This record gives sequence, C-alpha cells and structure tokens, in this order.
Amino acid sequence: MITLSYSPLYCSTRNFQLPNPSLFANLYGGLAVTKRYPLRAAASLWDSMRSSFLNNNTSQLIEPLPDEEEEVPQEIVLVEKTQPDGTIEQLMFSSGGDVDVYDLQALCDKVGWPRRPPSKVAAALKNSYMVATLHSIRKSPDAEGNDQKELIGMARATSDHAFNATIWDVIVDPSYQGQGLGKALVEQLIRALLRRDIGNISLFADSKVVDFYKNLGFEPDPEGIKGMFWYPRY
Amino acid sequence: MEIVRNITTTTTTTRPLFISTNPSHVKLNQLTHLFTSSHFSTHRFPNLHYSSSGNHRVVEAVNVDKLRIALLHSSVVVSVFCKPSHSSENNNNNDMFSFGRELMERVVPVSESNGELVGFGRAVSDNGLTASIHDIVVLPWLQRMGIGRKIVQRILRVLVARDIYDIGALCSEKERLFFEACGFGDDILGSTAMMYTRAPPALSHYNSQDVKHAGRMLLLVPQSRQDLSSSTTND
Repeated sequence: MITLSYSPLYCSTRNFQLPNPSLFANLYGGLAVTKRYPLRAAASLWDSMRSSFLNNNTSQLIEPLPDEEEEVPQEIVLVEKTQPDGTIEQLMFSSGGDVDVYDLQALCDKVGWPRRPPSKVAAALKNSYMVATLHSIRKSPDAEGNDQKELIGMARATSDHAFNATIWDVIVDPSYQGQGLGKALVEQLIRALLRRDIGNISLFADSKVVDFYKNLGFEPDPEGIKGMFWYPRY
Repeated sequence: MEIVRNITTTTTTTRPLFISTNPSHVKLNQLTHLFTSSHFSTHRFPNLHYSSSGNHRVVEAVNVDKLRIALLHSSVVVSVFCKPSHSSENNNNNDMFSFGRELMERVVPVSESNGELVGFGRAVSDNGLTASIHDIVVLPWLQRMGIGRKIVQRILRVLVARDIYDIGALCSEKERLFFEACGFGDDILGSTAMMYTRAPPALSHYNSQDVKHAGRMLLLVPQSRQDLSSSTTND
C-alpha cells in the first residue's frame, strides 16, 4: 500500500503562504522532512499544488541569464521539388518548435504510435530544449499565395542545457521516409547540442531502429552504460 | 509519517539527515566539493588524471558555470545534509559551558545552513511526458546506508506528483545494482540506450568548430545542411 504524502518543501517558498517548512522540520528535531496535512485541508491543498506543478514549474527555476546566448531558430529548405502540374513542394526544416499538437497527433497516428494526452504533449514540447520540425509547403503555380503547410517530421531533445541531453520522439511521415529526412532532423539536433557543449547525447531506440542510429554515430550501450526505467510497484 | 532517520547500524552514533528539494539550498562550492570527494564526474566518459601522490586516479574537476546552468534547468534537485562531526575537535575540558554547548549541538536540528552536503541528485524533465535522473552522488564513507535510495525515492515522488511516470536513468555497470534496488529495470518495450560517440576520422584536419570534447571523448559535429532557397537556383 502506498501512502503518498506530498511535501511541498520546494514550491512552498514561492507559491503558497504556508509557514516555512523547515520550521516543521525543526519541531520534529530535524529528522522529519515529510509532513501530513489534516485530511480536510488536503483536498484544496492538493488542487493548488497540482495547478502550481502543472503551471510550468520550471519557470521558477529558470532565471534569465543575460550572458546566455539564445540560438536564433533557423528555417532551412532542405528539398525543393517541382511537380508535373507546376506546384512547387518545399521541405522546410525548422528549429523554432512551433508544432500544433493535433498535427503531431495525426502524424503519430500515421506512423502507428500510441496516442498521448494532448495537454502533456503540449507541455513536453514547450519544455523541450529543442524541437526540430519538417514541414512540406506546397506552393501553387499561379502565385495565389495560399500555401499548404503540412507537418511531416519532428524530433525533440530534452536537456539540462549543460551536460546531458536525450533525444525523444523522432518521427517522419511514412510517405516521406527513406529520403534521409530523419537523418537530417537528428543531425541538426546533434549539431545544435554540441555547439552548446552538451556532450552526453543519449536516446532510447527501439530494436528496429538501432541500425538507423548506428549510422548516425550512436553507439549502443557504450562501455556498459545501460538505460533503465522506473517500474512502480504497488 | 516517514521520519528520515539514519538507517544504518554500522556507525556507532546515529546522525540525523535533512533532505531538501529546494534548489536554492545547494551551494555550488559545497556541490563541487562533494563531487570531488566522491570522484564523480558529470561526463559519462571522464578524463582521469593521476593524483599528485600518484597512487590513484582522480577525475577532472567539474565546470562550475555549466553546473550552475545545469542546476537551473533541472526539474528536480535533491540535496541531503548532515551535521559535520566534531569528534576530532572535542576539547575535553570539562568547563561549565561544555555541557550546554554539547546540548545545543545535539538539540539544534540539522538544516541546510548548519549541515554539510553529503548527498545530491537531480532529474531533468520536459514536465509533461518524460524525465531522466542524473548525478546521484553520496560521499563515499556514507554510502551503502540508504542515503542514495532516499534521494532517488524523493526524486520519484516529486515526479509522480507532477504526473510524470516515464522516468529513465543512464547507468554504468556499477550503478545498475543501485538502480535495480530503487525499482528500475530494463525497458519493457525493449529499447536500447545509445549515446553519440562519433569521433572525427583519425588523421584528419579539423577546426575547433567541428569537434567537441566531452570528457575524454572527441565528438564530431555534423555538417550543417545547405539552405536550398538561398543557393542559386537553376532553371
């Protein structure tokens, strides 16, 4: 049986008017660091804590550093093809990270990935270090101006901005696969990470795509380093 | 109610611990001292030098600026404090105030201001789907007492409270057993952990922009793709 007692030792210094938690700790002789709240107050307290955690908690951690250079999001046209009927199709790479969550969901459906809650996906995209996207832009020949823009690929990386980074969710539309687009996405991520001196770049690859990443310069289990995941036991 | 007590019975005196999830409790100089004392490096493949006495190898010192940035961008930062032991400094003069002094030392609880940093751990997350745990460090002479496990459990608790259940950790052979004991295991989907280790080809000339050092590894920076729209178009 799990008893979950949530101690807001960290968030209480910013969001709430709770008394200083270290006071409580001191009352228990410096030994206790968790505390139970009376059950009747727990519900509202949990709600406010939950909303605080969901509210981009990292904004409390990240203080704007004036000397940290911001990389200008790039847009690069990788491929430009002219169709027989005159429409020009451009495949545009972007590191700006503007991804519509529902576009991404449609792309994941095409590839056969399980659906994930859109709010969580939106939060994950917002807090990723870098989100690289590939869009296909079709320009009609009569210069009407209505371009069709479609998301055909994405890759994202999370990082602590200094030492470690992990690449997640590399996805390319099946009808555009096999052209080196996935490779381009990952290479751009690696390039951006290494330019910021982030040396530990890792990812977790399904067995089917291990060779794809080997081709990109990744080594499985280098020097015995393995990846492990948490399995809650109830 | 979970009271964090010193779990071991190997030491003669029990020492209270103070676990904090407040990142501002961690002072960088204490943290670098902890890393050095524990022979811990933030690089997965660290450079090892020989110590001045020549009998063992030590890791290079951690880059403090990068460490500060890493702490700022870590979603969870856990630190463990313990009262420094004064056994060597005890002047056993039985004056009038020694009893009072010792009493105060015992009664005043340990906190981040009067304690010594003995353990540390952090997690990096996108605050939505995934998280990964890094840099779990405990002083060598306080290891195998359950402190590391407490750190990991606290990190897990904070992440679960934020609704993040996909929590991973990269670990070397020696750390595998530790994480297994904390409830980690191989990925159920059978994925393989891979790291970028591509080095520039030997005997090639490269300028500093194309390679990066990560500990003792030399990593090749992939070439930037050409922007086709800016290049001269034919037709």
